[in-house]
Amino acid sequence: MANYQIPSWVIFSIFAVLASQYFSGSHSASILNSIAIAALLAGSLRFVMLIGELNFAIAAFVGIGAYSAGVATTMLDISFFLAILTSGVAASLISMVFGSITLRSGGPYFLLIGFAFTEAMRIVYSKTDVLGQTSGMVGIFPPIEFDDWLSLFVIIICLGLLFLMYVIEKSQFGTIFKSIRDNSDVTRTVGINVLYWKVVCFAIASFCAGIAGALQAFVNNVISPGDFGYLLAVFALAYVKVGGESSIAGSILGAIFLVVLSEFALALGAGEHIFYGAAIVIAVLFMREGIVGLVSSTISWITKTRASKEERV
Amino acid sequence: MELVFQLLITTLQISAVYILFSLGLTLIFGVMQIVNFAHGHYFAISALVVVYLMPWLVEAGFPASAAYILSGLIGIAAAVLVGLATYQFGFRHFQRDMVGSFILSVGFVLLFDGLFLESFGGASRSVPSIVEGTVSVFGAAITGQRLLLCFAAILTAFALYLVLMKSKLGSALRAVSIDQEAAMLQGVPYNKIAFSGFLLAAGLAGIAGALIAPVSIVTPAIGADYIVKGFIAVIIGGLGSIPGAVIGALFVAFVEAFGGYYYGASTATLAIFFLVIAFLLFKPKGLFGNG
Repeated sequence: MANYQIPSWVIFSIFAVLASQYFSGSHSASILNSIAIAALLAGSLRFVMLIGELNFAIAAFVGIGAYSAGVATTMLDISFFLAILTSGVAASLISMVFGSITLRSGGPYFLLIGFAFTEAMRIVYSKTDVLGQTSGMVGIFPPIEFDDWLSLFVIIICLGLLFLMYVIEKSQFGTIFKSIRDNSDVTRTVGINVLYWKVVCFAIASFCAGIAGALQAFVNNVISPGDFGYLLAVFALAYVKVGGESSIAGSILGAIFLVVLSEFALALGAGEHIFYGAAIVIAVLFMREGIVGLVSSTISWITKTRASKEERV
Repeated sequence: MELVFQLLITTLQISAVYILFSLGLTLIFGVMQIVNFAHGHYFAISALVVVYLMPWLVEAGFPASAAYILSGLIGIAAAVLVGLATYQFGFRHFQRDMVGSFILSVGFVLLFDGLFLESFGGASRSVPSIVEGTVSVFGAAITGQRLLLCFAAILTAFALYLVLMKSKLGSALRAVSIDQEAAMLQGVPYNKIAFSGFLLAAGLAGIAGALIAPVSIVTPAIGADYIVKGFIAVIIGGLGSIPGAVIGALFVAFVEAFGGYYYGASTATLAIFFLVIAFLLFKPKGLFGNG
């Protein structure tokens, strides 16, 4: 039985739920929503990193999810929960087709085509009449009875999906994913269909990205093509790198840290681009293991010095 | 017929710039395994320097051509300088680490985006014309300015091709990109070669930027459009391949010129993307890719 660290998850979830009840003002609620969605995006990006690929198409799948939610709600009158589920499924299905072509070569090819796919999808949104062209879609509202509970709902969905990805990572599937990352040739020799499992991993991550898109649409009520450019992927990457790539906790911490910090930075008048750019450069150059690495090395340093003190006594 | 010639000349002109761009990208990737998204910003800084400096020099009394050459040289120097800074403080530590170097380059992209916007403002600019009049080539009219710049770009691309194929530096660069360890065993000083290769690529982007400045509208975001298409060209040709980069750039420019004329610019961009996806179905690593 794998060690799922249930207590930490439960404590953190209680904390998050309490936070959503305590910060119920509209501004702080919107920051909480952004953090939850950002953490889900970071988790999704990191999940594909398990197979050693950098998924810049994530922005496209968030967009597909958001537009699916928009179409389902404003045109097809599909109920709230079903609309969210549809978004995830739509993103996941498209990612399977996209992945089964581009993941064959992987590496830089996958990365760069993902980037181009994001830009191509943006052109598609802004050229399609029913999607509102460049002005986007408006009036994507959750049901009225959700008014007071939306923040809580967003947090629960995001945490639930993050936990799901965590459980998969800890399971046998996670082992397969990591073995593909470490050496796909060896993995192939033991009879594992590498492309199949790469696509599975990618589809799960894209499902989460699609849901994140739908949540973003319901939180903001408005979506436009500009929201789903490659910057979205860059921000997700910043959360993962600043928080620390080695664990899913890093993605969550990175999202909390950068979203909150950028609130202050933007209030002080610094540009968003410069802020996130500097955050990535500093994280990559000076703290390779991110916040999580910093914390764990500090803890081990403290225990070490304590141990050596005890020895002396 | 006239129209076809006109479009072919446009293709040639766009492709010359894309070739300079994609050769730099493929060079850096081949030698150092670095996917450098900040490459577009070496290009942008050069173009920006030209559009800001040249009108100022003309006002100060320089003749247009002298002002252009002077500001172009300063622009190229600026591009090399930015390249040098990103190499020394960043990419040097990330050689042969594709994901790490890419993430770092994205950080640089955001940083430069912000800095350019702060220092140059968001407005688009253009420069006073350098050469007056139009020339007729096979019945297709083309402004003298465009023709001259097209010619300069083709000449640069050709010179670079010769350098890569004939010179000692060129063979060292190619040797490293084929097999780094074997090249080092043959006495190729890898660090020195990687450094010169990186600066050469940044300089190429600078030349491309200086050449594009007079014939297009320059904004601080100009690098982003070119980097995507430059990378698509490199993917088609196969990452690390020099002939591949040239063929890929010609292909992208062809679709852009002809598709753009008949169906509009954004449809052409979409077409390029879907053609690349279809192409990767048959050749997952591009035309000449092996790595």
